[in-house]
Amino acid sequence: MEVKITKNNNVLNAEFIGRLDTPASLEIAKDIELVKKEASGTIVLDCAELSYISSSGLRLFLSIRKAAAEKGGKVIVKSISNDIRSVFMMTGFLNLFEIQ
Amino acid sequence: MKHKEDSDKKISRRSAWVGVLMLILAAAMLEATTLIQFLFAQRALDEEASSRAETQLDATRNKIMDMIDQAESAVRNSEWIAQWTLTCLDSSERVCSRIVETNPVIYGSTIALIPGYSRERPLFSPYVYRSQADTLTTVSLATTEYDYPNQEWFVKPLELNQGYWSEPYVDTGGGEMLMTTYSIPIVDYTGKKAAVLTGDISLDWLSDLVSNINIYPNANTLMLSRTGRFMVSRNKEMLKGLSIEEVMAGIRDQEDFKKVEKGMNSGESGHQRITFRDIVGHVYYAPVERTGWSMCIIIPDDDIYGANRRTKNMVQIMQLLGLILLIAIVRSLIRSQNKNRTLNERKKRMESELHIASDIQMAMIPKAYPAFPERKDLDLYAAIYPAKEVGGDLYDFFIRDEKLYFCVGDVSGKGVPAALIMAVTRSAFRTVAAHVSSPSSILSNLNNGLAEMNDTDMFVTFFCGVLDLVNGNLSYSNAGHNPPMILTDAIRILESEPNLPLGVMKDMEFTEQQVRLNYDDALFLYTDGLTEAENINHEQFGLERVKAALHGHKSSEEHLKNIQKKVKSFVGDAPQSDDLTMMFIHFLGKPEPQVEKCQLIIHNKVEEIAQLAEFIDQIAEKKNLDLSLSTALNLALEEAVANVVLYAYPKDSDGIVEIGALLGEDNIEISITDSGTPFDPTAMPDADITLSAEDRKIGGLGIHLVRNIMDSVKYERIDGKNILTMTKKISE
Repeated sequence: MEVKITKNNNVLNAEFIGRLDTPASLEIAKDIELVKKEASGTIVLDCAELSYISSSGLRLFLSIRKAAAEKGGKVIVKSISNDIRSVFMMTGFLNLFEIQ
Repeated sequence: MKHKEDSDKKISRRSAWVGVLMLILAAAMLEATTLIQFLFAQRALDEEASSRAETQLDATRNKIMDMIDQAESAVRNSEWIAQWTLTCLDSSERVCSRIVETNPVIYGSTIALIPGYSRERPLFSPYVYRSQADTLTTVSLATTEYDYPNQEWFVKPLELNQGYWSEPYVDTGGGEMLMTTYSIPIVDYTGKKAAVLTGDISLDWLSDLVSNINIYPNANTLMLSRTGRFMVSRNKEMLKGLSIEEVMAGIRDQEDFKKVEKGMNSGESGHQRITFRDIVGHVYYAPVERTGWSMCIIIPDDDIYGANRRTKNMVQIMQLLGLILLIAIVRSLIRSQNKNRTLNERKKRMESELHIASDIQMAMIPKAYPAFPERKDLDLYAAIYPAKEVGGDLYDFFIRDEKLYFCVGDVSGKGVPAALIMAVTRSAFRTVAAHVSSPSSILSNLNNGLAEMNDTDMFVTFFCGVLDLVNGNLSYSNAGHNPPMILTDAIRILESEPNLPLGVMKDMEFTEQQVRLNYDDALFLYTDGLTEAENINHEQFGLERVKAALHGHKSSEEHLKNIQKKVKSFVGDAPQSDDLTMMFIHFLGKPEPQVEKCQLIIHNKVEEIAQLAEFIDQIAEKKNLDLSLSTALNLALEEAVANVVLYAYPKDSDGIVEIGALLGEDNIEISITDSGTPFDPTAMPDADITLSAEDRKIGGLGIHLVRNIMDSVKYERIDGKNILTMTKKISE
């Protein structure tokens, strides 16, 4: 699992590559902290290369969303696959994020 | 086999010959030993006889010479006085008397004047002799009847001018007495031959002497005079006074005796083997000096060798008897051994061949029961109860592509050939049925194979069936075999067209029929060993008894064992003449879907959760799941497992999580088992997914996902273990 974080014109782009399962979630916890620091701005979670996500991954996404809500930022989830979309649906996450 | 018997016979015949030869050799050696011993003994006996004879001859001669010496000296010592009496003839009678008187050996004596020496007495010979009363009697020998001047005793000494022993003669004057006379010439003082002085001796003592020679019981001792007359003989009735020529006729080999005669006559000593009348014997002879006599001892062979010969004969007879006994014993031993050996060998060989054939036969047929333990739709049991001798019954069954292929057959005939045909048939069935699905085609194939290789005119009755276990459709084809029984609501014979048995003719067509088996229907196949089992009264077990025995609800194995028991009690003590083979196929409906198992065990470590993806991939591949479904399964599994890994065990303690999956036809059942703290995730309240981000709780998502993805989730606590079972329906 790899997270590529780039910042462009006050927009933070986090690209998730691989499977975001329980161990992977622990691995990228620091990256997520970095992301959350930019919660006042716009955060784009690019899921084009994310093949799998479990509840621990969802929790990371939720913590980002909570941080943004706190700091008045905005979180956009981009390019999710159908499988992940169905997980989002099952968990009500489709309502929590702006999906692009 | 026949060839092997012949060679066995040859070998045993040869060993018998070797035995006989050895015995002959042993006999020959034994005989040779006896003969050598015998010959040595003969030689020793020869030497002993010769030495005994010679000793005896010497001793006897010495005794004779002693007597002769006495007589000669008695006469010679009186020579001078006889000379003197010539001057005084009247005293001559006194001189003679004195000689007889003083010499006990002298029987009689005379002084006989040469005729014409004295003018007054032209013939003068007073003879003084010892009469029977031991008194001296004088007679005059100067008689015309006697004519002394022509007597040997008178003529010879004068002629030879020396002392002379006369031929023995029988004196008839004073009783029958063998006498001999020693006479010497007497010259007067002028040196002129004047008279002869004699001393007679009786040879009675000689006779006694000879009679006492008994070196061998039947030995004879003879004295021969100078002219070859027998004087005395130990064997009195023999030869007395006979000339040697007279006994010559009794001698078989005259040449032999002539040598003796010649030797004796010429005063030699020696030894000769002769045959006299019926007696074969040895003659030892020696001269008696001065008298011109000769003496011989005849010893019959029987006396010398008799004991030895008898011993030898006895030994030989004993040996012969021993050998005969030995031969008889050895012969009977060899015979019984050969007989036993060939019998034993043949028996053993036969037994082992039958055993091997039987083993092969038994090894070929499937006989591990339950035949298909994993199947609930089929209960099959089959068995061969072999007769004493191996037979040609066979059965076989196997499942291919959800179809049960089965057969029962009976090879005509018995024994090893039948067993071999059975083995061939059974392996051909396996080979053919591995790729041919219709019973009639299977039979055609088998038939062609068997007919081609079968030049022993054996045939096989054969029933072949193929049961589709999915729908119960049974196809079958019968090649001359007893039709099986079908057990539905009733028990009846399964209708089947009887084709010819296998192996009769090539390129036969076999008909095929179908019947549908429903749940709980059964098929019972058998060989004629069942229906034709006979009791002592030659009654057969028969179909009705079979039908009766098939009633009742039993397992296949119980059915067969029950029938076998009934047959056994029916047959009783009658020997089982044929193999008895039975097969019971109980069809129990549609088979359950196949279930495959997968398992994974991980430790309570977060990193190991990554292994779940691979586990799900395996399942997905096996069940051909699409990616979305496998991803969903992965997610549900991960949520359930992560829950255990993170929370079931106390922090920093080791624990394991077992993950099992049962891959059914239309569902997948996954179970997660741990030995951690009791925890029922299903009892947790479901997460409220309608809340806003601000209100949403971090936890509770996992079990929510599990519930959403899986069709059922169940928690159990068994034996101190948390077991979470979840199922997902799948469709192909």
